[in-house]
Amino acid sequence: MGKSGAGKTSMRLLIFSNYTANDTRRLGATIDVEHSTVQFMGDLNLNIWDCGGQHKYLDNYLNEQKENIFGNVEVLIYVFDLETTNKDSEYMLYDECLHSLATYSRDAKVYCLVHKMDKIPDPEKKAQTVELYRQALAKRSDLFRPEVFGTSIWDQSLYHAWSQIVYKMVPNMATIEDHLNNFRRLADATEVALFERATFLVVCSASVDPSTALKKYMGVSQSIKTYRFTCGQLQLPFQSIEMRNKNYSLFIEPFTKSTYILVITTDPDIEPAVTKANINAARNHFVKLAD
Amino acid sequence: VLAHQRGSEKLAERRVLFMGLPRSGKSSILSVVFENAHPYQVISILPTQERVVYHMVTGIEIYDFPGIDDYAENQFSNAVDPSVYSGDTTALVYVVDSQGDIQGSLVTLFSVMRVAQAVNEQLPIHIFIHKVDGLSEELKQDIQQDIQQRVLKNMGYENLNSTFVYFHRTTIFDESVREALSRVVQRLVPRYQNLENLLNSFCTKSGLDKVFLFDVGTKIYLSMDSSPTEPQLYTFSCQTIDAMVDMTLVLLSDITGATEDDDDMTMQRTVVGLDSNTKIFIYHINSYLALFCVGSAQLFRQKSLLEFNCTKIAKAIRQMLPT
Ligand SMILES: Nc1nc2c(ncn2[C@@H]2O[C@H](COP(=O)(O)OP(=O)(O)OP(=O)(O)O)[C@@H](O)[C@H]2O)c(=O)[nH]1
Ligand SMILES: Nc1nc2c(ncn2[C@@H]2O[C@H](COP(=O)(O)OP(=O)(O)O)[C@@H](O)[C@H]2O)c(=O)[nH]1
Ligand SMILES: [Mg+2]
Repeated sequence: MGKSGAGKTSMRLLIFSNYTANDTRRLGATIDVEHSTVQFMGDLNLNIWDCGGQHKYLDNYLNEQKENIFGNVEVLIYVFDLETTNKDSEYMLYDECLHSLATYSRDAKVYCLVHKMDKIPDPEKKAQTVELYRQALAKRSDLFRPEVFGTSIWDQSLYHAWSQIVYKMVPNMATIEDHLNNFRRLADATEVALFERATFLVVCSASVDPSTALKKYMGVSQSIKTYRFTCGQLQLPFQSIEMRNKNYSLFIEPFTKSTYILVITTDPDIEPAVTKANINAARNHFVKLAD
Repeated sequence: VLAHQRGSEKLAERRVLFMGLPRSGKSSILSVVFENAHPYQVISILPTQERVVYHMVTGIEIYDFPGIDDYAENQFSNAVDPSVYSGDTTALVYVVDSQGDIQGSLVTLFSVMRVAQAVNEQLPIHIFIHKVDGLSEELKQDIQQDIQQRVLKNMGYENLNSTFVYFHRTTIFDESVREALSRVVQRLVPRYQNLENLLNSFCTKSGLDKVFLFDVGTKIYLSMDSSPTEPQLYTFSCQTIDAMVDMTLVLLSDITGATEDDDDMTMQRTVVGLDSNTKIFIYHINSYLALFCVGSAQLFRQKSLLEFNCTKIAKAIRQMLPT
């Protein structure tokens, strides 16, 4: 949900279809609601409703269509265009949406994305802007306690936010994460992450140094996603990568039915063949756990 | 990588000259290839006032000349000193805007050709039929045929030698411009014939399907084995290199001890598995050159043998190509 031009369709196509940021320049306004279904982590069906943000549609959602739109919602993602000229009317619209959501889907989870962050080049100002939104929104939506992310289709921030969003939707993720941590220790790896097959979003990770890890996985995930699309177009389906240099060894391989695994080792004494054997040994265990 | 130059400064021995009408796309091509500019960034590029030089590995220099407006009238020799065309390691690239004034561009090309061939009859002249994005396949072919005919016919009239004239269709929106540039510089690389022989024997002896020697920064290939190349393979190689470089940069960004200009990429080996049959092996031989090998998955069962062969070839190449 969000006003017209905020970037909803762009982000949907970036994450769930193989659009690049440049491709989105050609998009027109969304007519009414565009429904799509995405298979995620094997058997999780995400029904995504991209609600066109022009006035006539918004009025309709908040009146005649109220129950249809706001009933049975698991997650509401509200997109704010940070360049909006009229913040008050934006917030008013947001309040109305949450009000309807409270009526029909009290248990929904709400995320607010402050979008087009690329328009603010200065990192400090970026953080300030998101913080301002966070404070303003905290004052409004007492029932839902929304999480706020700054995002842009021009960098990894969008992947970051979406990874966090879907992470919470996958059942037993905490267990999988525990086991992934175990695997990392047993294999003497520095980093291990699981990518969801269809979207390449990072769904789970274990790292020696979690503070910088997520950013790295996002970067890797985005490069591979683009590359995999290229391979697919040439009928050369992408399978795996093994990379070694003086700093690290990296492996990306198909893992369970619905995931790829990324393993990075930095200890030069660990033979790549051993890491590969470890990945194969862990696969069966995770197949039982995850799929 | 680039520096502005006065017209009078001496040019390097191995050189590529970029010429063409103003706004034909010369500077755009060079900033996309050598400065990694995004094709959308060059829309507002300013006209070139003074000659600009780009340095390539192996001592090749690329010169971007200011657009030639009305050479014919200006007594062309005033604008460019004819000696720039001399030497057997010189190549000329003439950029024609396929969506612009083709007739005018060719008239200027002919006057450049006259001067150039008077100095150096064997000068390779590469005509880039540029900005072919957005044209239908049919129209592209028609335009190319039309230009080709006009150029060859005119050269016949004027008794010019057309043995060393080549045509390339290019656009900055795909890899065509890098591929065309690769063809241009290939013959300027020191000992190019030996280099090609070396890659040929490496390719057959290791049982590979194809080998390129890439300048990783520009994705120009300096050499390749002489087996036939599948049409999409070059583009795909570029995309593969891009993805791997992107990934490496992300990963190195916070590894302690890794420095930017250091030889972190040196000794990097990457295996990419495609369908169950094909694998790619990228072997960095120093911080900017890499062997790009395509082979069957079978071959990679004995990866250590392939790697051993690469080590030998890499050593030979390091000795052949000055850094
Ligand atoms: N600079 C910048 N532009 C963006 C970003 N995300 C989307 N855009 C641009 O914003 C424009 C509108 O995007 P859409 O995705 O169509 O907007 P929407 O929210 O779906 O609009 P409606 O369908 O009318 O509700 C497009 O031209 C996008 O390229 C971003 O992160 N940064
Ligand atoms: N459509 C299209 N436009 C291009 C291409 N290459 C360059 N241009 C545009 O052509 C214009 C002139 O380019 P420029 O490099 O300044 O030409 P120069 O005077 O020959 O150096 C710029 O607006 C570029 O964006 C191309 O491959 N396709
Ligand atoms: Mg839309």
